[in-house]
Amino acid sequence: MSSKREGSPWSLKLNTASLVLIPAAIGINYVGKLFASMLKLPLWLDSIGTCLSACMAGPVVGALSGFLTNVIYGLTMDPISTVYGLTQAGIGIAVGLMAWYGHMRKAPGILVAGLVAGLVAVCISTPLNMAFWGGSTGNVWGDAAFAAMGSQGFLASAVDEIIVDLPDKIVVLFITAGIYKVLPKSLISLYQAKDESLD
Amino acid sequence: MKSISLFEEKHSFLNGLSPETKLLYVVVAIAFPALVGGTVPQLAIMLLSIALLAGSKILTKSKPIIAVSGFVLLTVVIVQTFFRGGAYTELFRIGPLVARREGFDYSLGIVLNVFNIIFAFCVFVLATKPSDMMQSMVRRGISPRLGYVFVSLFQIIPQMTEHTSTITDAQRSRGMQTEGSLGTRVRAFLPLISPVIMSSFTDTRERSIALEVRGFNSHERKTFLDEFVPSSADRPVRIALLALLTLGVAFFVLRIVGVVSWPR
Repeated sequence: MSSKREGSPWSLKLNTASLVLIPAAIGINYVGKLFASMLKLPLWLDSIGTCLSACMAGPVVGALSGFLTNVIYGLTMDPISTVYGLTQAGIGIAVGLMAWYGHMRKAPGILVAGLVAGLVAVCISTPLNMAFWGGSTGNVWGDAAFAAMGSQGFLASAVDEIIVDLPDKIVVLFITAGIYKVLPKSLISLYQAKDESLD
Repeated sequence: MKSISLFEEKHSFLNGLSPETKLLYVVVAIAFPALVGGTVPQLAIMLLSIALLAGSKILTKSKPIIAVSGFVLLTVVIVQTFFRGGAYTELFRIGPLVARREGFDYSLGIVLNVFNIIFAFCVFVLATKPSDMMQSMVRRGISPRLGYVFVSLFQIIPQMTEHTSTITDAQRSRGMQTEGSLGTRVRAFLPLISPVIMSSFTDTRERSIALEVRGFNSHERKTFLDEFVPSSADRPVRIALLALLTLGVAFFVLRIVGVVSWPR
């Protein structure tokens, strides 16, 4: 994956290529979730698009893709998932920064990036879980641990979220890194060239 | 073109209100009960939302949304009723599991809150066209380019999800297993998702060229092809909502000071 780049990760301009990347990333999030539930996998796998766009076009585009994914979920399926857009935005920023500083090239770096993204997700999601669902996540394994810890309190809710989020984000980042490696270079250069324009 | 939007034009009272007013309704529906406290305001607003949806003949369209959150709510009720820690009053027993009144009451509060939010959101989501939402966002100063991203999502996502069944069939015909042990199913994930990703990125490239040649980056002022005109009820409704919100804040302040209290 790309080595450390020049300039600031936040200074990315939203050019046309980055803007059309956002819908594609959101679609990938959607399809990832769809396949995960079709294959009855115990993970969500609904942030592959967010992570890919963050790796390709930086934390701003990653955060926007993540946030809008949940806004669209909110507008079409599950209103409360809108607030979890904050979690996805956090994941986009974390992964975008990790990729920007070149931590996504080798397996140990990817593992660390997965842990960071997972912890960011836990820190943002747990207070939301407490506010809306009394601390549950809706995932069987996480909720079983939550129930075993007395179904209340911040700690039990955080453990519930960690059980679901950490493995999910690690797997997602390994998938992302794998896909990123095989993407055509001409496509990636569209986002990472210094002054990219299709004019 | 197929869209994932749940909106349906019924020329109803809700369709005539501007997106901002309906969004304000969502804010008031969530904030007012929180400010005033107690379950009565929550229940009242939830019933109002249901009445508004029924009046606009879109209540049945809220079913899939209820189903998604309903499942999570069911797990919340089970987890809280049978496993909530602390002192408890026994309701009934199923084998070794004791149903606890405290946990059950707590979960009912969550159910009511979530249903209130969902029905209020339905008032907004089921009665507002995505392009009208975008129009009002752009009027409020959001870049028309981001507006395009938002509206295009409603069409790009169904295109991509339609693609998934083709890919699943193609990979199965090449001998890929999609059922069986966890290992088999995990191995199937990558061959399924990677064609979607590759093709969507190829489309991305083509779409960005298509947009640029049509002047997407032009700095000329953009105009709207299909301008939304709110009905005459829009203004009074918005004023009433703002008044209710102000009332809620005033009640909250008085409650904090200790002048009034809500019978629980």
